[in-house]
Amino acid sequence: MEETSALMKQVEENQAVSDEHDTQKGKYMTFKSGNEYFGLEIQYVNEIIQLQPITAIPETEDYIKGLINLRGKVIPVVDVRLRFKQEPFEYNDRTCIIVINVKGMMVGLIIEKIAEVVEIKEDNILPPPSIGRADKAHHKYVYGIGKVGDSVKLLLDPDKLLNDEDLSVVEQANEMNNVEE
Amino acid sequence: MAEEFNTDGMLDMYLFENGQLLEQLQEMVLDQKDADSFDEDSINEIFRTMHTIKGSSGIMMFDEITAIAHKLEDVFYYLRESRPSNVPHLELVDHVLEVADFISNEMDKIRNGDPADGESGEIVATLDEFLEQIKKGEKGGKRRGEEIPENKHEEPKQFYIAPVSTSASHFFKIYVSFYADTEMANVHAYKVVYALKEIAEDLLYDPEDIISDPECAETILKDGFKILLQAQCSEEQVREIVKVGYDIEKVDVFECKAEEFLQGFDFGGQDTPAAQIIDLESSVEEIDARMQAAESAAQEEEKKPEKPAIAPGDFVIKSKEPGKQKKLAKDKPKAEKTSFISVSVGKMDQLMELIGELVISESVVLQNPDLKVPGLNLDNFNKAAAQLAKISTDLQNVIMSMRMVPLANTFQKMNRIVFDVSRKLGKDIDFVMVGEQTEVDKNIIEHISDPLMHIVRNSVDHGIESKKERRDSGKSERGKVTLSAKTEAGKVWISVEDDGGGLDREKIIAKARKQGLLDDLKPDSAYTDKEVFQFITLPGFSTNEVVTEYSGRGVGMDVVVQNIQAIGGTLEIESKKGLGSIMSLKIPLTLAIIDGIVMEVGSSSFVMETGAIKEFVRVTEDMMIHEPNGEEYIMIRGECFPVLRLGKWYGLKDYAESIEDGVMLILEVEEKKICLFVDRLVGEQEIVVKPIPSYVKKVKGLSGCTQLGDGSIALILDAAGIIE
Repeated sequence: MEETSALMKQVEENQAVSDEHDTQKGKYMTFKSGNEYFGLEIQYVNEIIQLQPITAIPETEDYIKGLINLRGKVIPVVDVRLRFKQEPFEYNDRTCIIVINVKGMMVGLIIEKIAEVVEIKEDNILPPPSIGRADKAHHKYVYGIGKVGDSVKLLLDPDKLLNDEDLSVVEQANEMNNVEE
Repeated sequence: MAEEFNTDGMLDMYLFENGQLLEQLQEMVLDQKDADSFDEDSINEIFRTMHTIKGSSGIMMFDEITAIAHKLEDVFYYLRESRPSNVPHLELVDHVLEVADFISNEMDKIRNGDPADGESGEIVATLDEFLEQIKKGEKGGKRRGEEIPENKHEEPKQFYIAPVSTSASHFFKIYVSFYADTEMANVHAYKVVYALKEIAEDLLYDPEDIISDPECAETILKDGFKILLQAQCSEEQVREIVKVGYDIEKVDVFECKAEEFLQGFDFGGQDTPAAQIIDLESSVEEIDARMQAAESAAQEEEKKPEKPAIAPGDFVIKSKEPGKQKKLAKDKPKAEKTSFISVSVGKMDQLMELIGELVISESVVLQNPDLKVPGLNLDNFNKAAAQLAKISTDLQNVIMSMRMVPLANTFQKMNRIVFDVSRKLGKDIDFVMVGEQTEVDKNIIEHISDPLMHIVRNSVDHGIESKKERRDSGKSERGKVTLSAKTEAGKVWISVEDDGGGLDREKIIAKARKQGLLDDLKPDSAYTDKEVFQFITLPGFSTNEVVTEYSGRGVGMDVVVQNIQAIGGTLEIESKKGLGSIMSLKIPLTLAIIDGIVMEVGSSSFVMETGAIKEFVRVTEDMMIHEPNGEEYIMIRGECFPVLRLGKWYGLKDYAESIEDGVMLILEVEEKKICLFVDRLVGEQEIVVKPIPSYVKKVKGLSGCTQLGDGSIALILDAAGIIE
């Protein structure tokens, strides 16, 4: 837990230093899911919170776990493991929710374990290799592979993560609903 | 005006004010569209409105608007001054509306940040033509224009004979002289006048212009202030009221005879009839009203004596002019209007949201688990909590009432539509509005305006038959469209009723058959009227053979229904062939905070709007009827309801299986009833409705979510969705 709060501070500091895009550029929030480490550009990250009681919504995709109440704001939460079509995992006290803001939409990502904020230079980011990988599901949301020292982080495109092709039908339905509302 | 234009949001202010002016203008014009001509008040009002718009548009450099407003002002100037008798009224109404439309259009563009590029040239030209036409028509006739000013001067005399004067009335001449060093003697003089008004039956004074003309202060100092007073009191009483003080040096009071009084001032050489009077032919209430207005004027006067205030109170001492009899009635609401401020809707929404948060955090505090520790003495806490709850309820009510807006404006727009459409189609239509003062949440008004417009247009276009058809079927040529609103059982009912041809059941059925909407096996008669009429709300369904400018393309009613359903409303259609139809909208009063019943299924909480629940029943297994295909019914008091198990339907975990462990809720929406089976009821609570984030796809039967007292989220069930 200490780890988390330290990181939260770090994130806050990063945001506090300057809201300008430049200082945040190249910084990635990394977290662990399964055996891999993933990175999210820090400008999308609003905050990191501990796991909260989740209200399930019936008849939705399994990876949408439900709604949480973030200081009076209702936001949906997505289980990243399930989103990656990996095995579900038991939630414990290391489980966190990363609240991201993509194009004005707030969504919480449930992740197993938060790692650190790292800086990855652009020339250390490689496009994902497209051949020879069986697990193609990753490629939709992974837009690059960042090298940090010896380790490798899979960089996520949050927009695709939330609204991927297989979601487009749902998205359209949502849009229609929005128009109605 | 000029003062307000110094503020930062100059453009906003410009748009807002002129928007309001135009709205008032339209309302007034439509009000009198059936008269033979505008009355004098309206002519003045339109003139003034155009003048104001011209002025402010000039400042904002919207030249086209300025030009067109100027032209219309010209027309009305001519009307006002010359009073031509042969103005084609409807044409004039058209011109005014055209101008109003043009300006509204331009203002819309400005609001959207587009350049106001409309060309006023054409309209200006037609207005010119129109003006020429009236002028020409007037030429052979008598030249009344020049007589009028004289009339104005003579008229006031008739008010000198005060009807309430009785034998007990006394007449006084009062001379007041002020100390030579008195500043703003006119204000002091006004104070005297004001004091005397308390007892006066009639009052004249000289100089007359003490409020609006600061110059007269000098005259007052030099020549003294002269008052003619008619009152039922003695000289002493008058002296008691007007007495020597720090400002007044000398007061002379002479009692005089009525004749002398009627002669007016024989001193000063002033033009007697022009002197100011307080007329007394009005009723006591009016006088009271004026007294109040005078009071406010006086206060205003005292507050900012450096600026002579003219506005709200000046009619009090203005002599009446012919044709201005209604002035008071018109000015009074204006005086009230000053107590309004306009607030941006965004701020209101913010406030609403904050109060929503407050309601939630209040329940978080009051139902805090820390309070449940045994052995705590909570007497004082409970007292304070009760007080807090009361205040927050009041606060909620106030904000709700702030958001409530009468439907009058929306209805007024419909008036305009009926007028436009009926004229274009050559139909004579009486438009009747009932209950336009019914108040509805602002958000809802925004949503119903378009659907309502569509329905009204339909009624005029399709509902009301042509004159000939009406004659043939023995109806009066004039059609009638009634727009009415009322509140009932927490809902607003808005209905549009016409006495036209009504819906043609056979035609609709035939069309529905053609489109394959009906079950081929079922005979036509198996469908109720209600079901049949619902077809017209389907997309692409129009029985109108001819597509007109206004309707008939089969798009529309489906959009109407969609829009209404989006705010939780419903549309009902009733119709009798040959007699007309009624379209009724049933919409909720408000969207934001509703009374709800909180219930639980398994570990999930749900909320259902209290209004939709008819009753709760505990049932036993023997009341259940199980169909082989898994459907269940229940007999309650001889009535059979379909049963929906919420837990099973949504695939929840750990819900009560046995029918005897849970509670049945009988829901009723539009006469359809269904039993909903849940585990247990938690309680009734005011809930703040929040939308489910758009990321989550729409789930049938859920209309939103809310936060409960413990901070957890409950889903709001939508009874209509469940029944579907």
